[in-house]
Amino acid sequence: MRREFYEFFCPVKTVAGYKALEHMAFELRSRRVSRPLIVSDKGVVGAGLAATVIDALESDGIVPGGLFDDVPSDSSFTAVKAGVAVFRTLDCDSLVAIGGGSVMDTAKAINILAAEGGDDIRPFAGVNNLSRPLKPLLAVPTTAGTGSEVTSVTIIKDEDTHAKLPVVSPFLLPDVAILDPRMTLKLPLQITAATALDALTHAIEAFTCLAKNPISDAYATTAIRGVARWLIPVLEKPSDPEGRLELAQAATMAGIAFSNSMVGLVHALGHAVGATASVHHGTCMGIFLPLVLEFNLSARRHEIGELLLYLSDAETYAATAPADRPAAAIARIRTLKDRVNAISGLPRTLSETGQVRREDLGTIAALALDDGSMIMNPVDVTLTEAQALLDRAW
Amino acid sequence: MQAKTVSTAVALSGLGTRKGAGTVYRAQLLYVRVMMWLIGRLLQAASAVDPVIRREVAVLPADFTFAMRTHSGLSGFALARDGRRLATRRSRPDESPTLLFEFKHVTHAFLVLSFVEGTAQSFANDRMSLGGDAALAMKIVRCLDRLEVVVLPRFIAERGVKHYPDIGLATKLGLALRIYRRFLMDLFGG
Repeated sequence: MRREFYEFFCPVKTVAGYKALEHMAFELRSRRVSRPLIVSDKGVVGAGLAATVIDALESDGIVPGGLFDDVPSDSSFTAVKAGVAVFRTLDCDSLVAIGGGSVMDTAKAINILAAEGGDDIRPFAGVNNLSRPLKPLLAVPTTAGTGSEVTSVTIIKDEDTHAKLPVVSPFLLPDVAILDPRMTLKLPLQITAATALDALTHAIEAFTCLAKNPISDAYATTAIRGVARWLIPVLEKPSDPEGRLELAQAATMAGIAFSNSMVGLVHALGHAVGATASVHHGTCMGIFLPLVLEFNLSARRHEIGELLLYLSDAETYAATAPADRPAAAIARIRTLKDRVNAISGLPRTLSETGQVRREDLGTIAALALDDGSMIMNPVDVTLTEAQALLDRAW
Repeated sequence: MQAKTVSTAVALSGLGTRKGAGTVYRAQLLYVRVMMWLIGRLLQAASAVDPVIRREVAVLPADFTFAMRTHSGLSGFALARDGRRLATRRSRPDESPTLLFEFKHVTHAFLVLSFVEGTAQSFANDRMSLGGDAALAMKIVRCLDRLEVVVLPRFIAERGVKHYPDIGLATKLGLALRIYRRFLMDLFGG
């Protein structure tokens, strides 16, 4: 008998589809809370998305305790401290996060302090440092990519040291993820593209890295198929609610997959580039994904070849010789990137971002080696190899 | 009713001490205890003489503490940064070190410490949980990998690490000799 062993855990309830927002009041009442703090950012509020959610809540008798929208693009200690002060002042009993990754991270961190006390998130940094269940948290993503609505992680920036502090705990998993196509209809093309490539990378790394398992594979492959099928149609017709919902579902499934099977070298490199040059995370994922798949071929040729089935269709997969499938799958991803670039202008290389300095590549490589994602990559990476990958991505 | 409860408890106790399973478990526990003891002290010795491990230790926080143990608390070791090297310290199950690698069961620890399963694969398989900062964990994993590569024969070390590096036999034997010598000096107070 083979010695395979894995754990899979996802207690997040998913509520998805037409008028999903109208279901939120029921979810709050079911958890015996009625005074949520809405956490969002000024962009989401300005686009009228927070108002849509609040209308849906109020129409069913839930009046939020207040709205906190001082969330920056990189979630910060200051924002978390201010948010928990508002939570306490307004005597709230739960949270509703409406936004992208930064809003979700801020809401999770506010929730830690609301339950554990204090106004400093640092003592809880690291893995498994929370001691108790938190307040009910409903997550309403307005991007389709981070998967944060189903993950047990929050990352908060320390403005003084510029370090990003991760907190990982199963208590951080939201209670409910609400996927309503109205929330992503107005998402700009380039953000739609970058976040979708982030979701694709979550799914592909979950499927090809060391912690893959049969259950997360099922989520990952369905997510890959969803992004491959719907990304270009959505970029060509952004107002299509069906396509938007398909991308949102794919992103959530990719989130469930990587929350259990973790990610690898693409994320390690992307985190390092993001920390050094503030390049959008999804843009980094698109840049590194095909290069890292080529790098990992020595250990994951079969799995990468299998990706062709989910990136194309059964006929293409069957017509491609097994030995040619890995290269064909990687070529599919490059073609997808080119089409995305043609429609949205999303950068395909580090130099195209205009934000990375070539002389920083050595620092970025060293940072990537210390990233926690590195341990799950199927192939070990030396500093020289990381630098070579960054040169190829230039 | 009371007599019935006592009778059930006796029966369950008997199930848990079946001779076959008990012997295998006790052998695994003994092996894990010996290996944990050995790894802690070899890592202490290597942190004083191996240049790769010294570089990793040099950037750890000054008050860094690390423990590897089984969740049951039946076996483990602890290290702390002591100046420019690591030093073993008493392992206490109730303590929260800066970084903690915790095997969920003695048998899981046995799989890794008998080189059936690599450290990274053990993390991936959720046999081991991590407490603390992931970047520090990466440094300690690299130290453990390096220790395996230097002090173990290649055919064993290859089973524990993802990639066996290009290290010449003379370099490997020279370093292993220095680590084992330091290990003995630490042990006997030389």
